[in-house]
Amino acid sequence: MKDKVAIIGVGCTKFGDQFDLSYEDMVADAANAAFADAGIEPERIDAAWLGTFSPYGGHGKASVGLADALRLYGKPITRVENFCATGTDAFRNAAMAVASGMYDVALVVGAEKLKNRPTRGLSSEGEHPYQTDGLTAPGIFAMAANRYFHQFNVGRESLAKVAVKNHHNGARNQKAHFQMEVSEEQVLNAPMVAWPFGLFDCCPTTDGAAAAVICRADMAKPFRDDFVVLKGMGLSVTSGRPWFDSGFEYVGFSATQTASQAAYKMAGISDPVREIDLAEVHDCFTWTEISNYEDLGFCRKGEGAHFIAEGRSSLAGDMPVNTSGGLKSFGHPIGASGVRMIYEVVTQLRGQAERRQVRDAELGLVHNLGGPGSVACVLVLGRP
Amino acid sequence: MIGISGAAIYVPRYRIAREVISAAWGKAPVPGSKAICHFDEDTLTMGYAAASRLTRTGAEPGRLVFASTSAPYWQRSSASQIAAACDLRASTGTMDFGGSLRCGTSALIAAIEAVQAGQVNHVLVTVAERRDAVPESTEELMFGDAAAAIAMSREGVLAEVVATHSRSDDFLDEWRRDRDSQVQGYYSKYSLTRGFEANVGPVVKELLEKAGVPPSEIALAAIASPDGRSHLTCAKALGIALHRVVDTCVAQVGVTGAAMPLMGLALALEAAKPGDLILCAGYGDGADALLFRSISPGPGLLRDSKTIDAGTYPLFRKSRHYLLEGSGGAEISNVLWKREASQNVRLHGTRCPVCSRVQFPITRICSACRNTEGLEEVRLGRTGRIFTFTKDFLYDAPVQPAIMTVVDLDGGGRFLCQMTDVDEREVRIGMPVELVLRRMREGAANHHYYWKCRPVEGTA
Repeated sequence: MKDKVAIIGVGCTKFGDQFDLSYEDMVADAANAAFADAGIEPERIDAAWLGTFSPYGGHGKASVGLADALRLYGKPITRVENFCATGTDAFRNAAMAVASGMYDVALVVGAEKLKNRPTRGLSSEGEHPYQTDGLTAPGIFAMAANRYFHQFNVGRESLAKVAVKNHHNGARNQKAHFQMEVSEEQVLNAPMVAWPFGLFDCCPTTDGAAAAVICRADMAKPFRDDFVVLKGMGLSVTSGRPWFDSGFEYVGFSATQTASQAAYKMAGISDPVREIDLAEVHDCFTWTEISNYEDLGFCRKGEGAHFIAEGRSSLAGDMPVNTSGGLKSFGHPIGASGVRMIYEVVTQLRGQAERRQVRDAELGLVHNLGGPGSVACVLVLGRP
Repeated sequence: MIGISGAAIYVPRYRIAREVISAAWGKAPVPGSKAICHFDEDTLTMGYAAASRLTRTGAEPGRLVFASTSAPYWQRSSASQIAAACDLRASTGTMDFGGSLRCGTSALIAAIEAVQAGQVNHVLVTVAERRDAVPESTEELMFGDAAAAIAMSREGVLAEVVATHSRSDDFLDEWRRDRDSQVQGYYSKYSLTRGFEANVGPVVKELLEKAGVPPSEIALAAIASPDGRSHLTCAKALGIALHRVVDTCVAQVGVTGAAMPLMGLALALEAAKPGDLILCAGYGDGADALLFRSISPGPGLLRDSKTIDAGTYPLFRKSRHYLLEGSGGAEISNVLWKREASQNVRLHGTRCPVCSRVQFPITRICSACRNTEGLEEVRLGRTGRIFTFTKDFLYDAPVQPAIMTVVDLDGGGRFLCQMTDVDEREVRIGMPVELVLRRMREGAANHHYYWKCRPVEGTA
């Protein structure tokens, strides 16, 4: 798979409370931007993959969510749903189809319209009627953070540093949901959402869509010179109900460990911090980013708090993480996020990230984490 | 010999000071407090709580009777669900008593008669009341919520049955129509003298005559009371010394309706010396009276000394109908309810014979070693320790934060549940907890019941 698939076009809507845009509007905006970026007409694609986690009001249900948004009929389209790893898994399936030779050019779209709903946060539709009643998305990760605190003697101050960093980056990104700096004090004094997470420890509920056009790497050149290739890829799935597993330590996620090892092996990476120039990781909550550092092998388990405290993941650090602002600041429209991360890494590798540009970026990592740490997808993207 | 083989009481942890209620209506302070259901409790969950204290250790009953004037369903057996939650076998006879405020003592008489008739050897009667009064009424100050359970058996008898007696009187005293959510009544002197005293007096008198026992020989008298006072007037008139009358905790717990005489009986059993005669009397649309003789020292009752201040009057009223007025719960199909009953209601899990891991939910493949041979369905422990938790302000609950816990169960298995009956400041990793049956969010016109945890007695 290594170097077989090229990304020749990307697009992304402004993320945020897009009350005046419909699901289809956002899908079309993102896809059309990617088509324009690749310099192709929509008809040029041979197949498409749509990533949407939770259709609401009939939008984003099955493959027709994409076909109807683009009024593009007769193409093979597949909808993918894999918790919050939906976007990267849609990309992964498209990449395998292109690498296999089945299709030459494929479109990947991740889209989520969360703000159509009348309620706050994510809906619990489709969950067991009472076995998990009481769980919320922040609550799930808060229980892990609380156990992590207990085991490694870490406190909320470490989490606050992640929020400060990601807001700093998001303030340099015109497509981010939140474009404002926050102070550590603000983060620590914010209203509590789910102990130990305050408001600024949580990613927002966001509308948005992102898209990528991919093709076989050997045919990428005519489309553009600065295409990006897929170097490594891994997906790993563990239990969707870790709370029933008495062997689960609740201090990190093995899915991320396994998926990243697979991706590193394929890409030929032995020392990720030294070899990778930037990483877009799944910071649904500030603690998750700290755990991600460890699970992705940037540092040892229990040392993530030092990794952020030492500034290693800041824009100027040796492993800039979430240069886009991350889910924390850029926003988290579930199915869109993975594709949005690809958008950011491609932008960085092309050297178009302006005020948040990582110098001489050649290799970037994308990490999506879904469910209660159950599904992880890791991609390594690089210049050819 | 036939008699009482076990007794238990259950009082909710939440208390509201009566002066908080009187102050809310701008009235003079009233002393004492009353026990109130937490927002997630009703008579089914309290009836389970009292019954489970006896089924955990005692012999398995052949019949389980639930009695209440405030059952959560007009049509659907609470007894059957309590029996399942207690993990009793399917051949258990389950019956629901209601209608009258004396349904608890009537259920007790029926239990005695069933054992006497040889129909069944061991009957467990659990009675629970969740009493809703008209706001601003005296009853709003007085009514309390509680449950009690009494086991009637041929074996292990602590107090034998001496006699029972009943009388019927279609007297208009206190009632609740099918469409009423609150108890109605006239509460006049006429009600007390021509209703309460006119029935309890004669029923006790006739019972004692039947048994050939003079009132002066009664050692302990557990008598229902509409107000915490009138039963004393009644006892005095009968010739029973006031110090013989059991304190049914009206001052701290309240007037607990049908549960009251059984609570009193449980307290009397605990206090009785061998040979003591114990009287129990229930009132409502007539009256019931039962006489027991203590055989051996009574059981020590499990006393929950933990109480939690329910706070303000608005919070009390909000909690009272929170689950009824809200919804948001998922629909539970009868297919799923039935198929998963052994795990979700009976709290069974799976034990792997190869790696010994006890796990929940029930599985055909061991989650630790993936073995598929010889997996065994086992009862899970109903106590454990908190492995981790969060205090969630996003989840919709009447009092925030909602506390979500991951619990390592004693005997193995890990369980996810909400925590209840706790001051959020006390929650800690490693805290010992017990699983309790509670009401969950309503959905699809059904009450939903599942397990939560709460601190065990003597911790926190």
